[in-house]
Amino acid sequence: MTGTRRRGARFRLALAGAATIAIAGPLLWLWQASLLPDTYSVMDMGYADYGGAPAHGLEHGLEHAAHMAAGSERSLTSFTADPDRKADVEVTLVARKQRFQLATGRSVEGYTLNGTSPGPAINATVGQLVQVRLVNESVPDGITLHWHGVDVPNSVDGVAGVTQDAVAMGGSFTYRFVADQAGTFWYHSHQVSHEQVRRGLLGALVVAPAPRPPAGTVDTVALLHLYDGARTINGREGDVHVEASPGARVRVRVINTENGQTSIWTGVPFRLVAVDGTDLNKPDPVRDLAISLTAGARADLEVTMPEDGSPVRIHIGGPTGLVLGRGPSGPPPVPRPAKTLDLLSYGAPAPIGFDADRPDRRFEYEIGRRPGFLDGRPGVWWTVNGRMFPDVPMFVVAEGDVVRMRISNQSGETHPMHLHGHHAVVLSRNGVPATGSPWWVDSLEVANGDSYEIAFVADNPGIWMDHCHNLPHAAEGLIAHLMYEGVTTPFTVGGEARNQPE
Amino acid sequence: MKIVYKVLAYLIAIEVAVQASMVVLGDAGLFVYIGEGGVLDKATAESGALQFPEFFAFVVHGINGMMVIPVIAVLLLISSFFTKIPGAVKAAGLVVVLVALQVTLGLLGHSITPLGALHGINALLLFTAALYAARRGRAAVVSAPAQPVHAG
Repeated sequence: MTGTRRRGARFRLALAGAATIAIAGPLLWLWQASLLPDTYSVMDMGYADYGGAPAHGLEHGLEHAAHMAAGSERSLTSFTADPDRKADVEVTLVARKQRFQLATGRSVEGYTLNGTSPGPAINATVGQLVQVRLVNESVPDGITLHWHGVDVPNSVDGVAGVTQDAVAMGGSFTYRFVADQAGTFWYHSHQVSHEQVRRGLLGALVVAPAPRPPAGTVDTVALLHLYDGARTINGREGDVHVEASPGARVRVRVINTENGQTSIWTGVPFRLVAVDGTDLNKPDPVRDLAISLTAGARADLEVTMPEDGSPVRIHIGGPTGLVLGRGPSGPPPVPRPAKTLDLLSYGAPAPIGFDADRPDRRFEYEIGRRPGFLDGRPGVWWTVNGRMFPDVPMFVVAEGDVVRMRISNQSGETHPMHLHGHHAVVLSRNGVPATGSPWWVDSLEVANGDSYEIAFVADNPGIWMDHCHNLPHAAEGLIAHLMYEGVTTPFTVGGEARNQPE
Repeated sequence: MKIVYKVLAYLIAIEVAVQASMVVLGDAGLFVYIGEGGVLDKATAESGALQFPEFFAFVVHGINGMMVIPVIAVLLLISSFFTKIPGAVKAAGLVVVLVALQVTLGLLGHSITPLGALHGINALLLFTAALYAARRGRAAVVSAPAQPVHAG
């Protein structure tokens, strides 16, 4: 009797053990497989996607193929601005970890550049060579600077572990690039960026056109950032006053340095004259419309001051904003218009300079979400084309290719997608073709359920990040890279420099 | 193992209660914040700072729901294999299925709002299933001496 019971108990225990292994085994295997090595190159990450073109550039002729086959590779460090050219604009930025005060007296623990956050605005004129020496005085994790929206040479793109090593305390790094496009840009750290940007390692970069605007024109920057929940414009809480006389034209360059989109609106007619550092073609004046500004993106608005001298309020997301006019008194707030300006049909069409209908490469960038482990952490994580970080695509192109990319989002959340080193033009959204001004972006809000077709010319060789600029999402693996054939990087994520780009 | 199973099952029920309280606490804080003139857009919501003191409740809800509760549910299922409580595996399996459904409904509710309403109802089902699983243990303890033993 007891023998049978014991046998039954043993059998049951064996069954329970087998069932446990059946459940825990795959989970443990998935957990183990998700652990990232201490050091890795982004070139070894995931899988290569040639976008429908044959690998190793055979379409460019045998000579090119042979060139590739001979292993003639080029390090991205060789893509630089002319080293013999003298700098036109020289800036030194010293980064510190410190407690600092906002204009209202609020004390913030974070990072500064030359003692302030946002860091000094850098101003250049189109065509000038900008040289910025970054010195890390006391940021323990190391720092870099990325020139958001400027199509810089790859060696100065400022991505830790991809284009350089993070600058350790006591070290420095010099960024040199030609500001070849007039427009509104910004810079920020791309080392532990989800934490360092939030805590203040950022600033504005404005490239003015060569013929200066006529006298009487007001040109002002409105950089949005939150410090410990305090919403600021140019580091100031509450209304920011800008002097403008009646009848003056005012250009307001709004920069969204945050992780989520914000709305801009005003009670008077305005024109949206530029997006992401590129002027729009023939933008009509509009009113009773809000502008939705993507995380990382810029929008330049132009308003004409009323002749009667009344001030104008530009709302940026609600309580904060600019008050344009004379004297300190601002007009009362106005509610956000219900409708949002749609850039798909705003302005007038113009040639984009290449034939997007005959692309050399076509890529899919489909954003999803599923349960799994990310470096050992259980959760519901982002996917690119159905696969989870680090098994993400490396989009491979050759210099001169016309590239089309479809970015679609079925992840349940909105994502501000940012491509480094290039500007892409929006061709369509959800199958509806763009009919307005060419809409060039470096930061594009892809709402849940939306699908965008974009195109660009691969004219800036290197290895470039293509990621979500809701920076915690990037840290959660919503990242891919764009790589030119034959370009290599000597840098690794992790390693002695403790590079951690996200 | 019986005690482990019971503790885990009760833990799930407690966690569901915590989830319900957290989300309402967060909502209450949000409406007080708005009532006092605060504005919450995506830029503010994603800034990583606590705009209002109760904002932490949303963070707790997210971490609990997507990481902690699924891990407890899997451990409950594994522990159920080693208990002699009748129906323990079925009850634990039901809890796992409802947890998976709950996470799915919660995330889909971000884009398809009516599924958020189902998320609320499914929470009650999950709470009940967790208690049912836990109390099966109790029933087994009570009835254990009465179990007939057959000679083989």
